[in-house]
Amino acid sequence: MKKLESAEDLLKFRDRSRAEIDLREGSKDILLTVHMGTCGIAAGARDVLATIVEELGAAGISRAGVQQTGCVGLCDQEPMLTVTDKSGAFFRYGRLDRAKTREIILNHVLRGTVVNEYLIKD
Amino acid sequence: MGNENITACACQEDVPLEELLTRVDPVIEQYRQKPGGLIPALQIVQGIIGYLPEEAIKRIASGFGKSFSEVAGVVGFYSFFSTTPRGRHVIRVCLGTACYVRGAGQVLEAIKRNLQIDVGETTKDRIFSLEVARCFGACGLAPAIMVDEDVHHRVKPSRVGDIFERYRLRRNGGEAVIMAERSAAL
Amino acid sequence: MDRTRTHVLVCTGGGCIASGALEVSAALTRSVAERGLDSEVKIVETGCLGPCAVGPVAVVYPDGVFYQGIKPEDCEEIAEQHLLKGRVVQRLMSKEHSGDRIPGLQDIEFFKKQVKIVLRNCGVIDPMKISEYVARDGYQALAKALTEMNPEQVCKEVLRSGLRGRGGAGFATGLKWEFARKAPGDVKYVLCNGDEGDPGAFMDRSVLEGDPHSVIEGMAIAAYAVGAAEGFAYVRAEYPLAVQRLEHALGQARETGLLGKNILGTDFSFDMEIRMGSGAFVCGEETALMTSIEGKRGEPRPRPPFPAVKGLWGKPSLLNNVETYANIAPVILKGADWYAQYGTEKSRGTKVFALAGAVAKPGLVEVPIGVQLGEIIYDIGGGIPGGKKFKAAQVGGPSGGCIPKHHLNVPVDYESLNELGAIMGSGGLVVMDEDSCMVDVARFFLDFVQDESCGKCPPCRIGTKRMLEIVTRICEGKGEEGDIERLEELGRAIQDTALCGLGQTAPNPVLSTIRHFRHEYEDHIRHKRCEAGACSALVHSPCQNGCPAGVNIPGFLSLVGEKRYNEAIRLHRQNNPFVSVCARVCFHPCETKCRRETLDQPVSIRAVKRFMAEQEKAFVLPEVRENEANARRRIGIVGAGPAGLSCAFFLARLGYRPTIFEAGSRPGGMLVQTIPTYRLPRNEVEWEIRMIEQMGVSIHTGKRLGRDFSLSGLRDEGYEAVFLGIGCPEGMPLGIPGDDAEGVLDALRFLTAFNLSGTREVGRRVAVVGGGNAAIDAARTALRLGAETVTIVYRRTRAQMPAWEEEIRAAKEEGVILETLLSPVAVVLKDGVVEGLQCRRQALGDYDASGRRRPVARKDSDFVLPCEQVITAVGQKTDFDAILGDTRVERDKYGQIVSDRQTGRTSIPWLFIGGDAATGAASVVEAVAGGERAAAGIDAMLTGTSHAFWRRPEVVDTYFDPDAEPVGYPRAEVPVLQPKQRSRNFQEVELSWSEAVAVREARRCLRCDYGKGETGKQSVENEEAVTVV
Repeated sequence: MKKLESAEDLLKFRDRSRAEIDLREGSKDILLTVHMGTCGIAAGARDVLATIVEELGAAGISRAGVQQTGCVGLCDQEPMLTVTDKSGAFFRYGRLDRAKTREIILNHVLRGTVVNEYLIKD
Repeated sequence: MGNENITACACQEDVPLEELLTRVDPVIEQYRQKPGGLIPALQIVQGIIGYLPEEAIKRIASGFGKSFSEVAGVVGFYSFFSTTPRGRHVIRVCLGTACYVRGAGQVLEAIKRNLQIDVGETTKDRIFSLEVARCFGACGLAPAIMVDEDVHHRVKPSRVGDIFERYRLRRNGGEAVIMAERSAAL
Repeated sequence: MDRTRTHVLVCTGGGCIASGALEVSAALTRSVAERGLDSEVKIVETGCLGPCAVGPVAVVYPDGVFYQGIKPEDCEEIAEQHLLKGRVVQRLMSKEHSGDRIPGLQDIEFFKKQVKIVLRNCGVIDPMKISEYVARDGYQALAKALTEMNPEQVCKEVLRSGLRGRGGAGFATGLKWEFARKAPGDVKYVLCNGDEGDPGAFMDRSVLEGDPHSVIEGMAIAAYAVGAAEGFAYVRAEYPLAVQRLEHALGQARETGLLGKNILGTDFSFDMEIRMGSGAFVCGEETALMTSIEGKRGEPRPRPPFPAVKGLWGKPSLLNNVETYANIAPVILKGADWYAQYGTEKSRGTKVFALAGAVAKPGLVEVPIGVQLGEIIYDIGGGIPGGKKFKAAQVGGPSGGCIPKHHLNVPVDYESLNELGAIMGSGGLVVMDEDSCMVDVARFFLDFVQDESCGKCPPCRIGTKRMLEIVTRICEGKGEEGDIERLEELGRAIQDTALCGLGQTAPNPVLSTIRHFRHEYEDHIRHKRCEAGACSALVHSPCQNGCPAGVNIPGFLSLVGEKRYNEAIRLHRQNNPFVSVCARVCFHPCETKCRRETLDQPVSIRAVKRFMAEQEKAFVLPEVRENEANARRRIGIVGAGPAGLSCAFFLARLGYRPTIFEAGSRPGGMLVQTIPTYRLPRNEVEWEIRMIEQMGVSIHTGKRLGRDFSLSGLRDEGYEAVFLGIGCPEGMPLGIPGDDAEGVLDALRFLTAFNLSGTREVGRRVAVVGGGNAAIDAARTALRLGAETVTIVYRRTRAQMPAWEEEIRAAKEEGVILETLLSPVAVVLKDGVVEGLQCRRQALGDYDASGRRRPVARKDSDFVLPCEQVITAVGQKTDFDAILGDTRVERDKYGQIVSDRQTGRTSIPWLFIGGDAATGAASVVEAVAGGERAAAGIDAMLTGTSHAFWRRPEVVDTYFDPDAEPVGYPRAEVPVLQPKQRSRNFQEVELSWSEAVAVREARRCLRCDYGKGETGKQSVENEEAVTVV
């Protein structure tokens, strides 16, 4: 991209980025965030991410967005998946594996039923 | 900066040392003029050869216009550098505080028993080397061990054999095992 | 398409279902559908939300409104008012919860108390995309600094924010910047310390991996402020992912012109590169780090000159760590005043802690500086898992120290931690439970610094080596008197003379553990005992080490595994006569230490013992050494409870013929007076007491010390030694108005009256005050005697109840009502008759000296619990004045008799004490141990040497294959009578196992004792001195 040459350029870049994110997320009903820090990866976050991509592809779902981020701090619950829906409500799932991830895609993403069992609770 | 070289696999047993040493020269060329370039150069050379043999240290010393003893002194100071060949897979047992209080000592004992080697040694078949590490920041999942770049978490002493078996098989059976693992996971 | 705008989470945890949550959920779904809201409002049934007592409960998101006590008929109103019209239904909101947010799904306790400044983007943005960082106002602070502020203003703003270095010592960041700015020189460097070497700290890794641009932006601002054009980030080689992501971020920043020449069109140019560490801990020290970047051995050098004046390649350099830089952008963008609102007067802002070790929810937490240590560990971290006890928090890594439980309310800031001998350091916070030995932990850190010492200065290189040698010796049971003092001396010398900060702080872990846990060092040195069970040279097996009586548990389990029951019982009686009694009432500390737990669950040791005890058909006696000389000596024992009986038992095994004087009408003490028969059938007690009598012990009942005889009288009759095992039989009064009324009585009296006479009247409604085992026993007994309702009133929380968990659970199953966080304030009387108990609700306040949160009365929360009888169980004591008569013996400030921990000997050479009388109300197995220690002590006093032959470890000859895989069975359940079958009678609650189950369970033992034949609890000094007749 073109280099930013002033503070105004940076502001424009920010607004553009926000708009892009809104557009991207606007076309999506649900956002799946996988936390890919060292701890997450050690615990199997790559498997979770791969499963999500495979399953969404197989089911032909395009209204779900997938995002990778760093560690959210709750190492003990890794690998984790945060599902955020349009209302802004978010649901953190913890200690996942391929099978559990598949269940979440099937029930939460496809049918809209929260998978209580895998939610992180106090 | 080319960090991928440092973390690259060191399984170059089939390539003769002579051949590997020639690959050292471009690295020297790239870093000799750089202020403080000696350590990055050593890191990359160790990535290429798998360890730092005397010949490599000599070559680097003369390339950087330093004495052998000065470079050897730097190599000896940092625990990351090794002057002896290591096994195909390097096992690092974290002995950081969090791992220690969660039983890393027992994990280490179990590994020593399982592989019949001590810390700093390599198995006879040159498949595994055993090292200890001071915390790789996976404290939330203690006790942890690292095999090459993979971090294994919440390791149970009674289960270390299973972990190593996978690496052992991967060497022999290669793809088949990985496929088997995948299908088991499905 | 799904257009959900609102989620209603209806709690369908067990508690709420019981109060009708499913009906509520159905009604709500119906009401929502009737209004056509079902595409917008989603009803989600969730697991337990927590406040079961006010159920059914529901939370409406995204508003976070919390409703409680919902009835199906309320659902119409919720749907109409709240979900359709957006008006909250006030009457259903909890007073307590309406103001603040409750822990729901969005906001679990772990995140609730955190304030995220450093970690603002971690776990939220994609670290590989600069656009996501920019979208969240990334690099705006840099733009602001470059276009609106001059370098001096930037330094001032940072100084005014109160930010202090997050890498260790906490030097004021703004001041450091100002020094570097003022240092003369054309070429300057900014450096980032990402050599996060402290074991147990991983926040820098997380920031570099999750939000690398925040570090780049912080460094660029710093470069602008001090006048540097070049920077280095020094990152550990152990963090490949962090290096990779930072590298990627640097590339993107260059591409967009946020690094490089004329950034954002200004005169300011800055670029930076990464240098990887090579595994030397000392390189975290600032001067060593710079030498390492220069390509040399990373050895520290003395300061001054400080890096701000003469740093990398001799040029002025500014060095901060990753976390410090991550704070900069928010400070500049939102201003110093905004930042300074967090934290304390002297320590502003937040600190990230890496919470790890024995804590339920380890992870990274960011909190305002100054929160209490206990809040981090318990409120955020969820406390200690596995029902274990908190012992210490290690703060600050190898330069830090251990903080014990009575300081859990310390505010976590730089100064307060220093006062306790710890440091904030990089923020590693490792929680240790009862299984961690503090001497071993000190050894661990010494080993670490010894290993990582660069070797340049002798105090660090040689001094820590000497200290390590001493501590290692102590851990191996070879410690000597004077070792502790030697360690303190060496430690102080190193602190004063080492070259760099790492060396100077190296002794801290040892000095702080000596300061707070000196008794553990003394235990290792004097008694060769490691209570935590961590020092393998002193520990035969974790379970045996955890048993107060030191029973060879792997031994008897393996014998049961081979069906050799008599040998198993005999082995048990080597150290504890009460096989059958303990099989029923022991709180089994052994099982909480069982290593099988790391595999699946602990071995059910007590239940195996119960089966084993059932196999005893004739008395199985352990070795008894007849001794005519000993038999002639007169030894008196006061009290026929477990302590006295055990003392007599062990004396008898050395050939003595002690006499027991018991005040009650039958021997057994608490075993027959207070422990209910549904837990301990009396024939089991009688059997084991008869066995002890048969060994040559005589018991006289109805003899009360201070009434029927005196200590001086015993001496006159020729008794050479006396053991006091009189227990702790007096209940403490409640100390509230009306507590002397008829209808108020203490639990011990209540239980004793019933157990000895067989009848006792109870009220229709009974309130039991207290949270210990006596309270539970009284409550369950009252229920069995016909009370309609029995309510336990306890001022702390259920988790804090001293009673054993399984007893509490059983009581609740039987219908006992548990009211916690409730404190009685007065007994309500009408015409002198109890009518109720006035109670006040409590909330949890600060941490007290016991490491528990103190209950604090809540205003205007009084109410009267109606009841006809109040049973109190709020503590027990011994009335020594009444029994001692004219005998003078040393007492402590609480009136307790002072005695030696190893022998029970008091200030009077012939007088020994043990059991509850010495320790305060404790347990049967602890009383057994106390009796054993006194028996050995009395023998040593009379003969001049110890003959406690049973302490010699015994190797069993059972078969064990160390290479075989452990058997795969899960822990077998103990069968019990169902609550309905048992709650109104006194039948024994627990039932027997079949032989197959018992043998299989015994074989689950992992045999941690294997190969440990030569080590044992304590050696016998002079084995040959025993004359075997």
